[in-house]
Parts: sequence; C-alpha cells; structure tokens
Amino acid sequence: MTQTDTAMQTVPTFLAAISRHDIDAAIAVADPQVSVTVHPLGVREVGADALRQILADLVRGFPDLMISVSRVITTGDVVTALFKAEGTQAASYVGAINQEKHLDIDQAWRFVVAGGLITELTAYWCQAQLYRRLAVKRYDEIDRLRPGGPT
Amino acid sequence: MTETTQRSRTAESAIAVVTEFFDRYRAHDVDGMADLCSMNAGFSYVPVELWGKQRVLRGDGKVCSIGKPLWTGLIAAFPDLSNTVHAVTGNDDGDVVAQVDIEGTQQLAWGLVAPAGKHYREPHLFIFHVDEDLLIDSITAYWNDASISQQLGHTEVD
Repeated sequence: MTQTDTAMQTVPTFLAAISRHDIDAAIAVADPQVSVTVHPLGVREVGADALRQILADLVRGFPDLMISVSRVITTGDVVTALFKAEGTQAASYVGAINQEKHLDIDQAWRFVVAGGLITELTAYWCQAQLYRRLAVKRYDEIDRLRPGGPT
Repeated sequence: MTETTQRSRTAESAIAVVTEFFDRYRAHDVDGMADLCSMNAGFSYVPVELWGKQRVLRGDGKVCSIGKPLWTGLIAAFPDLSNTVHAVTGNDDGDVVAQVDIEGTQQLAWGLVAPAGKHYREPHLFIFHVDEDLLIDSITAYWNDASISQQLGHTEVD
C-alpha cells in the first residue's frame, strides 16, 4: 500500500468518526503529537488533547452535528477535505451564547498524513458566517463572553 | 501535414501554473491572472456573502464575471495587496492546494468596512483545478473574514 493510499483512508476514517460524534475514534487516527491549527479559533497547538478539545466543544455546542463531505483531494501526503458542517446550537460555542440557531458552514480542512496517522491539521472556515447564523451582532460581544475575555 | 504539440499535465506543471498565478496576483496583474484561466473557469470565494433583506449575494460564479471584478476591487481598496505562498501541493489530475497569506493596507471602502488605514494579514486556503491545457478551470478559496474585519477595525457582524 502506498503512502497516498494510506492518506486516502485515514482522513475519511477521521471524518466518519466526527460524523458519528465518536471523538475517541477520530483521535485514534491522529498522531499524539499532531500539529493543530484552527485559524478561525486562533488555535495553534500541538497534541491530540488540543484536537480532542476542539472536537468536544463542537459536538457539545451542536449535539445534532452533521458532516457532509463534498470532496476529498489527495496531493501526495496532503489530504484536503471540503465539507459542510450543520447543526442546531444547544450550548454556548466559542463565545456565542446559545440561541438555538441552526448552523451550516462550508469548511476546508487540510491534513498531512504520515504512517497512517494525521500529523498536521489546519482548518479553514469563516467565523463571520458562523456568527451570522448564530445571531451574533458584534465581534466585541464574542470577546466579552470568551473565557478570560474583557469584562 | 499539421504538427501538433501536446502539453502534458503533471503535478509539477499544475503547481507551476498556480505559482505563476500568485506571482501575477502579487504584481497586481489581474488580466494576467485571468489569462491563466480557461474561458469558463469556475470561481468560488466561500466566505463572500452579503446578506440583504430578501437575498444573499455570494462570491460564486465565473472567474471572468465574479473573480476579475473582485480581484480588481480588492487591489483598489488595498493598493499594497500582496501574498505569501507557504505551501503548494498537487497531483497528476490537476488538483492543486495552496496555503497562502493575503495582506494589505486599506485605503478605500471594502464591502461595509470603512477605510481606516489599517493592515490585515490572513491565512487562506486555495483549491485549484488545472485542466489538460494547463489552464485553471476552477478556483475555490476559504478564509476567516471575521478576522479580516476585526483587523481592519470593523466590529459589526454584517
């Protein structure tokens, strides 16, 4: 099996696990020292725990989360997944209070895969689209509600 | 007898086209950028959406009708607009994925953001498809527009 074949299997396994809300199964295909960059959240961390926290927050905020993958593009050891994340807010999420709004956000996640494990993850989506859908009116509202934000 | 030349598309040649695209973008050569695209190239800037009372305008369409005006407007609003290409990967099917930072200093209104002379720099992910004639026939991009608004001093979620 080639490196590309392995990369093509790892990422769909990861995404399918998120779709099932099975965070343990998703983390199982990530390297313990995975590099995690989530640009919309300002996250740049290393380690599976950081990834676990991001996924747990997402599933807690949107318990009916659904992932619809439109494309998976393999370019060597890099796999890019394009998908839509949908769900209904049931708890505060990244500073946005719960107003039971429905979310649908197109996203692109770029993975680097080595030895069948995800070693790098970089996530792109537009937080302005997310806030619009969650009925947030001002960015400084979010800053105020974030843990450790201004009071 | 007519001699024909066949250009072969490989991952390397597709990546070269995309690299040239960003070189031209950095040089503000919008016509040159469009020249690298096929006549009917698709275009999707996913974060671009303007919510009106009865409809939502999106950054989806064609390079010639949506992409060129958008690039031209962006360069007018941010006259020092530039890009830094961090990573470009491709495959022999013509798919190319590029991690690129776009930055610039605002001099004119951009969307609902009034000019305050502020600078932004934002990571973008571009997904291209390069056809067998080595022309780009699809461009899709993702970034966080909230970050750009905040860097430019705009605090409202429009």
